[in-house]
Amino acid sequence: METKLEQREAMIESVNARIRERVQRIEAMPAIPAVFLPLLKMLSEPAKEVGLDEVVRLISYDNSIAAQCMRVASSPLFGLTHAPTSIKSAVISLGLRRVETILLTCCLGQAFPAKKWALDPVVFWRHSMGCALVCRKLSEKLHAGDAETAYMGGLLHDIGFMVNCLAFPDEFLLAMRQAMQEEVTLDAAELATMGFTHCDTGRALAEKWELSPDLIEIIAHHHAVEQSQRSQPLVALVHLSDLLCRTRGLGYGYYERLRVDLTSDPAWAVLLKAQRELGQLDLVRFSFELDEAVAEICELVCAVLGPAPARA
Amino acid sequence: MTLARQTAFTPTASPIRQAVDPVYRQIRDLVYKVSGIYKAEEKLYLLADGCARRMKLVKVRTARDYWDHLTAHPSRDGELRQLLNEITIGETYLFRSPPQLDALRKVILPEIVAEKTKQVTKRLRIWSAGCSTGEESYTLAMNMLEESDRLLKGWTVEILATDLNDNSVETAKAGLYGDYALRATTDYFKRKYFSPVDEKKLQVRPEVKKLISFSRLNLQDDSKILFMKGMDIIFCCNVLIYFDGPSKSKVINHFFSNLNFGGYFFLGTSESLVNLNEQFHLVHFPGTIAYWKPSLSSGKL
Repeated sequence: METKLEQREAMIESVNARIRERVQRIEAMPAIPAVFLPLLKMLSEPAKEVGLDEVVRLISYDNSIAAQCMRVASSPLFGLTHAPTSIKSAVISLGLRRVETILLTCCLGQAFPAKKWALDPVVFWRHSMGCALVCRKLSEKLHAGDAETAYMGGLLHDIGFMVNCLAFPDEFLLAMRQAMQEEVTLDAAELATMGFTHCDTGRALAEKWELSPDLIEIIAHHHAVEQSQRSQPLVALVHLSDLLCRTRGLGYGYYERLRVDLTSDPAWAVLLKAQRELGQLDLVRFSFELDEAVAEICELVCAVLGPAPARA
Repeated sequence: MTLARQTAFTPTASPIRQAVDPVYRQIRDLVYKVSGIYKAEEKLYLLADGCARRMKLVKVRTARDYWDHLTAHPSRDGELRQLLNEITIGETYLFRSPPQLDALRKVILPEIVAEKTKQVTKRLRIWSAGCSTGEESYTLAMNMLEESDRLLKGWTVEILATDLNDNSVETAKAGLYGDYALRATTDYFKRKYFSPVDEKKLQVRPEVKKLISFSRLNLQDDSKILFMKGMDIIFCCNVLIYFDGPSKSKVINHFFSNLNFGGYFFLGTSESLVNLNEQFHLVHFPGTIAYWKPSLSSGKL
């Protein structure tokens, strides 16, 4: 006789199989620029093994993406005062890793064009970009390893919402409605209506894309840091940044009845254990500074989602 | 002082950033360190205006000279107080901070009601400390009345509103407001809770006033503050600015002990308790922050 645990595991496996099957069918997915997957692969390799020329060559295949990247790179949020004139000059001023993340940001913006979705893509991208920037900032402040990996984690952590929109449009619409009506969190509404969340669907896409194990971990466990098996501090960092964004005007476009006591969150203890500097962080000031960046983040999202400039 | 450069999200120049002398960012950081008040980038011009007025009076010419005056001059502490007064000159109106009201009604009230539901007397006590001319107190009262048929059915709500200034307290009691004070008040609230007095003014209705008791109180008067026990929520917005470091600390400690366990303390939207009290927990709500005195059941004390 099957035990309850076995039954539960069988049920979870059948849900996961369903998710995987639908994710496989996302092939009809909007045009992901051709450079996207090679770029992803490059990002998972150590920086020193990736050559500048290789990146420039890759990007030169697609002028419109390149031009869009120049626009994004000129945002003060990426640390340049003047718009770079070429990919090469952007790499020289910003560093290879950062340019790669900017390119990925643009590719993703192209991959999921605005359509009638349960979750407004503009709102979604504001949250994701905001979270990416908060992750990077926090990671830099705490000297917590590669800040660009943290950025990618923030950018992709909610990618499961996009999968939901594409692969489970009707089910997710119900979840979204419930969340808005009851002002509860989206993951709670997803669980109540669909039985699984964007963490599950996001993980399926991340595995399909063969993202790095760190990124898969973030996508799968950013709502339950204690369940993550590896890179726990990084998952905790994304979790905390996500909460900060949702309380500072970069949420999902509706009022969530959130009460966030960051320093009492289990993720705080996980991150603090790895990065003692966290104890010195002035959270109020960090929040005020995030408020200041919100307008610029919104502009940046317009640059990423807006039409690419005409091909040169 | 390089704090701002290290911490800001956008360290380089945007159009707004280019317009202000970078010294004002240093002054902003100093003000934050001393008072917990943060002037956001888009409000830096207000700080610059305040500095300009002070610079005229103390007869210094450039922002750089004024920075020296604030940091190296024998009268620097006094000057910083003067500057703080200059940049926080009170303007207040009803419904000034919707995120605070949302947090109060949607998150905090359900929590407190659930926590106190086992108690015999269902009583909610709110203190509006430094109520000035009553705008905040009436806003709170109207919002509580909105909940009187729902969450707060069967509850008694008491709002204690205090201010140091007798004239302000008298004005508050009258509850007469013109367009300026009512500019963020919706027609719904105007119709439901106000009566027209003349073409220019509306007066708060008696059923709202009934919830509030206004009185004069000096927050530095320790013996009187002791009587303000048993609060569930305290609002003290844009008041602590007028206190020096040690007295501010003392007042905050009073607020902490006057709050019930599980109670909340709100400051003005750009204020914070930086380095003032270790016992309060900082809590984020959408668009606002508050300080929480941990409940006995939370195990966080």
